[in-house]
Amino acid sequence: MINKLLFIVLLMSTTLFAQVEGGITVPYIDFPMKPGKGMYSTRGKCNMCHSWGYTLNQGLQSKKFWHDKVMKMIVVFKAPIKTKKDIDTVVNYLFENYGNGKLE
Amino acid sequence: MERRDFFKRALTVAGSAAVGASTLEAAETVHPVDNRKVSDIAFPQKRPLITYSDRPPLLETPREVFTSALTPNDLFFVRWHMPIIPNYINSNKFHISINGLVEKEIKISLKELKTKFEQVELTAVLQCGGNSRTAFNPTASGIQWGIGAMGCARWKGVRLKDVLKKAGLKKEAAWIGFNGEDKAVYNETANFVRELNLEHLNDNVILAYEMNGEDLPYLNGYPLRLIIPGFYSDSWIKMISNITATKEKQKLHFMENAYRIPDNECECETPDQLAQKTKPIEKMNVNSIIGYPVTGTKVRNTSDLVVRGVAFDGGHGIEKVQISIDGGKMWEDALLDDGSEGKYAYRAFKYEFKPKNSGKLTIMCRASNKKGEEQPFAKDIKWNRGGYKYNGIDEVIVEVVS
Repeated sequence: MINKLLFIVLLMSTTLFAQVEGGITVPYIDFPMKPGKGMYSTRGKCNMCHSWGYTLNQGLQSKKFWHDKVMKMIVVFKAPIKTKKDIDTVVNYLFENYGNGKLE
Repeated sequence: MERRDFFKRALTVAGSAAVGASTLEAAETVHPVDNRKVSDIAFPQKRPLITYSDRPPLLETPREVFTSALTPNDLFFVRWHMPIIPNYINSNKFHISINGLVEKEIKISLKELKTKFEQVELTAVLQCGGNSRTAFNPTASGIQWGIGAMGCARWKGVRLKDVLKKAGLKKEAAWIGFNGEDKAVYNETANFVRELNLEHLNDNVILAYEMNGEDLPYLNGYPLRLIIPGFYSDSWIKMISNITATKEKQKLHFMENAYRIPDNECECETPDQLAQKTKPIEKMNVNSIIGYPVTGTKVRNTSDLVVRGVAFDGGHGIEKVQISIDGGKMWEDALLDDGSEGKYAYRAFKYEFKPKNSGKLTIMCRASNKKGEEQPFAKDIKWNRGGYKYNGIDEVIVEVVS
């Protein structure tokens, strides 16, 4: 009886260990992209660094918003999107498929 | 009928429907998007949550959880900035470095933190500055959160002050920078570094290794994270491994551009006239959320309905929570818990009544704090580009059946 009690007290006073000593695996979640012109190019340039969920969960946005976001990715986060043509492709894909219809 | 089955609901990720209420009249703030479904895939140490992204992980807590003062670890929301998070941390080898303007640059192991420093414990709300961002119209910049980018936990750790004292801050030190173990894909990308002005350093700012009596969940920053009670969570660095003291504020994207609001009386602006001057979001405003019932719950007009929820602010303390069942004309006091978790914690509240008429019934809650600040109606909240600091009066719409 005392042993049992001791055991319970010990259990209660010990911190529960997080199960990370052996490491964890973050699951892959599929966030499908809307099919459209420039999808493959956009996938290659954006999804290299982050999930498509991170992009689409910004909500439906203006063309200026998407352009500013892409420029932020390039200037602040060093995304390797080099040419104006590439920038336009990505911005146009985003606006056509995740746009709110407004230029600004 | 109580809805205990929300974890099992038809499950989809927040994948296709991140649409704000952008069809409504321009610039009128609305209620945040509600009742999004949890994902059918659980993340490590978590139950299924509303899932916005897996890389980096962005997980929101469903409304039903907000009925008690503490949020369970496996239901606690998750928000990382950088996509690469170490998937293995050896707690025996983990240490935190203190450097910059200190007398002696040092490294402190996790074990030393737990044994060589005074251990402190406090309960505090952790809330993203962009919580409820879907309320803003036009759609504000950032992840389109519903109401669940928040939680409240009992944190155990050591005072940041004590750790800095061990290294000995030099007189000229004015800013403390924090960096965690998460990284971007490209080496050239700057880390998610945040800074705290020394004037905000007090005994309540702690480096925590425990959350609700357990090791921190991996996705909440295992093995160590910063806790700044009363402040939004933008500086509560997870998996923190480096602290640097400097004289001048560093030039950092996440300090200069992100987590800032207009520096004017209303903390507001319009899309075509953005404020020139901005300030950090810092201290949380007064807020409350109904956890039960949720929109769509069916209740009988003959049975007692117990409304439950949580209220909090940036540390002045909650004065009262009131409930309205007539669209915000008449308000009655809800019953608050004893407040024993302290002024930085949730106050759980409840309000019992018997619905009379059949049909749709709107239940609203409104909190005010000891400083006299009261939550405004959603429509009266003014816009800001980052969609920060939403604290509109919450509401759920139930169906009363006879």
